[in-house]
Amino acid sequence: MNPPNLPVVSEGTRLTPGELRSVEFARAALGRRGYDEEEVRAFLAYVEHELVQIYNDKAALGDEVNRLRAQAAGGAGGGVLGPEDAHFQAVRILSQAQQTADLYVADAERYTRELAHEARLHREAILSDAKGRAEQMLEHAHRKAAAVADAAVRTAEQHARASALPRTGGALPDDERREMEREIAYLRTYSDVYRTHLRSYLEALLRNVDEWENSERASLPH
Amino acid sequence: MDAQRLKDNFAHVAEQGDAVALFFYSDLFVRNPHLRDMFPIGMSHQRDKLLRALGHIVAKVDDLANLVPFLQQLGRDHRRFGIVAEHYPHVGASLIATLRHFSGDAWSEEIESDWSAAYTLVGKVMLEAADEDSLTRPAWWNGQVVAVERRRFDICVLRVQPDRPLPYEPGQSVALEVPSRLRHWRYYSMANAPRPDNSVDFHVRLVDGGPVSPVLVRATETGDRVRMGAPVGTLTLDESSGRDIMLIAGSTGLAPLKAILEQIARRSEPPRVHLFFGARTRDGLYDLEHLNKLAGEFPWLTVIPAVSEEPGGHGFPPVLQSGPQVGSQSWFETGSAPGPLPGDGDVEHGNLSDVVARRGPWDDHDAYVCGPAAMVGHTAEQLALLGVPRDRIRLETFADAQR
Repeated sequence: MNPPNLPVVSEGTRLTPGELRSVEFARAALGRRGYDEEEVRAFLAYVEHELVQIYNDKAALGDEVNRLRAQAAGGAGGGVLGPEDAHFQAVRILSQAQQTADLYVADAERYTRELAHEARLHREAILSDAKGRAEQMLEHAHRKAAAVADAAVRTAEQHARASALPRTGGALPDDERREMEREIAYLRTYSDVYRTHLRSYLEALLRNVDEWENSERASLPH
Repeated sequence: MDAQRLKDNFAHVAEQGDAVALFFYSDLFVRNPHLRDMFPIGMSHQRDKLLRALGHIVAKVDDLANLVPFLQQLGRDHRRFGIVAEHYPHVGASLIATLRHFSGDAWSEEIESDWSAAYTLVGKVMLEAADEDSLTRPAWWNGQVVAVERRRFDICVLRVQPDRPLPYEPGQSVALEVPSRLRHWRYYSMANAPRPDNSVDFHVRLVDGGPVSPVLVRATETGDRVRMGAPVGTLTLDESSGRDIMLIAGSTGLAPLKAILEQIARRSEPPRVHLFFGARTRDGLYDLEHLNKLAGEFPWLTVIPAVSEEPGGHGFPPVLQSGPQVGSQSWFETGSAPGPLPGDGDVEHGNLSDVVARRGPWDDHDAYVCGPAAMVGHTAEQLALLGVPRDRIRLETFADAQR
């Protein structure tokens, strides 16, 4: 039937261990079966004990919550973040990492750009130097050859005048023959001088290549 | 959706510049760590691209006639990055979170629903275009390098064999990715008209400090793999025009124009074609030999090479030139310093735009221009001054696209 005197629990209040203890059960009607009173008492005692335990635990947890709340509000490190804050924190950290990566990438690009630029300048300097040398060589060969050609013609003329012999079987007129001699002498000297220059230049280049190879070998880790 | 409210909100957010894009990507990656691998390590260019695209979309949000084609191309472009339908909601969520974060007190439920509506529309158009594209084309083509020809220390010509037919219009380009620089895509033009065997040539110039072009020029070998996106570009031949043609190429800007030249050569009655090929120095005219051969073959073709940074009459003396020495006695006869190169008269001196102007008139020609930004800009201006109508000038710059 209805429990006789269960406490009336009004809105907002909870069953207390004390209330539990004061519960009186009506006797079962004679001849009807009822709960063993002792067992009911023992059970209620047990429930009371459990309730006490739960209230204590709840109070302890409440204290803990207050303590943590105070800590979080105080902000000093070790606070517990809400999921929203944790997300922003992660976004912030990732953004910083990304910015660092971007900085390194930009630095590396700038560095290679500068290196490549220097290499380009170096290459242009070497090329223009080589062109200058080549022009110089040719100019030198030309001047020398022209002088030799003139000398050859003069010698031939002197020789012809001294011998004063009539020309034998030469089909070429004098002027043309002299011009040919001049050309031959020019070309011979020109190529000779040019060859000498070219040889010394190539030797210098070979020495450069050797130096390059040596310095590269020296720079390798041993 | 209130377009003006959207624009005002974006203008307010965009004032904070790079920080907005930085936040967006970080938010996206924190929520979806697996998406990080779809992007390169360095993200600064990526952020610029994002902000530019967003700005463009917002500016055109009430101009669907222009916005839709832009979004469709954007959607198709994203296929090669491996972007699929399931990625779109993630991006949308991070975008809204970013906008909310940077709007501060200005954020409202109305603005949020504006953005949601706009993003849903944008995603829908992009995805539909991508899906439609996938019916006819793969997301990318795999290719293998079958020939590498170094033309100068910093210029090389690559021949790539795609793994399946790669249909394109001569003058178009593809985005290219090499395995050693994953997620870095660079646009290069096919330098030939489509061939029966599908192979394509690329002209690559090393850009100092660039992440991709040095690898392509210095480290690419036969057998290397590349990936290619779908062909794009509007620098294509106007087949309906009966006018004569001028092709104006600065450095490796030659590539698309050479493809167009090959296309013209396949016509039964080609128009007169003047091909201007310019570089700073003579050794930058890396393809002149072949162009001269073509000019010898085709009576309708005139090739005009030009150098901008070598004074006239300068060069190696004839003795150092290889090949037959036509008129090599000239220095001997004059008895003075060596004269100009044999054939030096064939190379014009000066900026390409000036060289073109000297050769006019061109007002009855169609002009196709490709090269570095400054060269293309000057040349287009010069052509307009020379009376070539703007709508007959087609141009393309490779600018930063090929670093």
